[in-house]
Order: sequence, then structure tokens, then C-alpha cells
Amino acid sequence: MPGPTDLLIALAAFTILLAAFLFARPHVTAGAAGKIIAFMGLFILPALCISGGMYAHMQQSEQTRFCISCHAMEPYGRSLYVDNPNYIPAAHFQNHRVPADRACYSCHADYAIYGPLADKMRGLKRIYMQYVSTPPANITIPGGFKNAQCLHCHLGARDFESNPIHQAVMSSLASNQMSCITSGCHDTTHNISSLSHVKFWSPAQ
Amino acid sequence: MKLSQYGMSRILRVSSILVVLGLAVEIASLLWFHPLAFVLFAFVGAVLVAAGSLVFLASLVFAVTPEDASDTR
Repeated sequence: MPGPTDLLIALAAFTILLAAFLFARPHVTAGAAGKIIAFMGLFILPALCISGGMYAHMQQSEQTRFCISCHAMEPYGRSLYVDNPNYIPAAHFQNHRVPADRACYSCHADYAIYGPLADKMRGLKRIYMQYVSTPPANITIPGGFKNAQCLHCHLGARDFESNPIHQAVMSSLASNQMSCITSGCHDTTHNISSLSHVKFWSPAQ
Repeated sequence: MKLSQYGMSRILRVSSILVVLGLAVEIASLLWFHPLAFVLFAFVGAVLVAAGSLVFLASLVFAVTPEDASDTR
């Protein structure tokens, strides 16, 4: 069954044919029907194609394989397969606590109202660094990792909220005064510097 | 300024070719799974399509109406 991207490509191809027809026979716009065809082919359908294309690219950029297609991100992708439950990203990815095909986006997206747009702008800056300037040796998250990324799912979850340690520091976690990952509790994240001497999980086994 | 039928045809051709090129770039960007695909789409494809549509809309503003044509006789 064709997916949304296939349908969008079909719509774009149809619009190309319509625009090519208008290129070859511009005099058809002298009549009322021709004017409607021109309005559809040169304004309405192209606008639909661009809106759909923007949506398709946003969806595509949320996929795990898209994130790790950048050379600098490869070790972060590998770290999802570390065979050690203390590695927070690996444990989430391997046990499907986050959707495996959207693993990066699940924990590294800003869920505020303009979040996806802000993420996209940050992504463009990283593309600039990758292809025009120089990528930094150590990749850091602008503003640090915010607890909201964890609490987006964990807040309200029974095992999280019934944990006495979490209960004691809940207000500090919610206000981001205490970090989930740098306060000594869940501090083993991607740790890409240690990947050369860890065991990896293979899904095929 | 009003455009003659000949001028309209030329502008429609310019608009059509911009839309065709922009949409071709969009299709290529959708088939290319690469971080630069979005850049190609947003900064080349969408700009070409937007330019084509704007040229077409501008041509509507400056088009000769039948009344205009009869006035010139």
C-alpha cells in the first residue's frame, strides 16, 4: 500500500505534468477553464505539494536512522546497542521504552509549542557545522539536557512516582534544579568514549 | 501597467518552468535519505515553487481584462 510520501510524490508528478502543459500551451488560459487549470496548476497544487513536503521532511527527520546518518552521530547510534542496562539510552531503545524508529527524537525533542521548529533550526545549524565549518569535538546539547525530556513520559507513571527517592526530589526535578542524568542517579548515558571496550547487543541473536 | 496576451504567455511559461523545476527538486529531496535533503527542499525546491507561484499571481494582477482591451481600440 502506498505511503503518504508516495502519494505526495504522485501529486507532485501530476502537478509537474499540469505545469508542463501550461508551459507548452499558455494560450489555453485565455478561456475560463484554462484560467482555473492555471490557478490549480501554478498555485493551489504547488502550495499543497510544498506543505506536504515540509510535513514529510519533518517526519523523516524524526527517524533514528536519519539522525545517525550524520557521521558525527554514528557513535551515538552505536551506543544504543550497548549490552548494559545501566546505559540509559540503550535500555530505553532495546526495551522499546521509546519507539525504536524514533529513539533520538523521543528524548532529544523540545515538546513546547514551537519545539519541532526550534529543533529544526538547531538541526540546520548542525548541518552548517558538518558541511561548512567544523563539527565540535564534543557534541553538547545547547542549554544542557532538560528533565522535561524524561518527565514527558515518566511523570505520572506509577513506578516512577511511587519511588521514594523520586518523591523526595520531585519538585527539584520538575523545576530542573536537579538533573536526572548529572546528579549521580542516572549518569550513564551514551558514554561514547567507552564504546571501544563494551559488549554490544545484537538484535539478530 | 497591463500585459498583452503575448506578455502573459511569456510570464506563464516562466512561472510554469519555475514550478516544474521546484517540484522536481522536491521529489528528488523526498527520495534522498540524507541530512542535506531538507536543505535542498527548503532552500531550493520550495523557493523555486514559491517564486513560480508568485510570478503567476503577479501576472493575474497585471493581466489585460476584456474591458481594457476594448478601451484601447
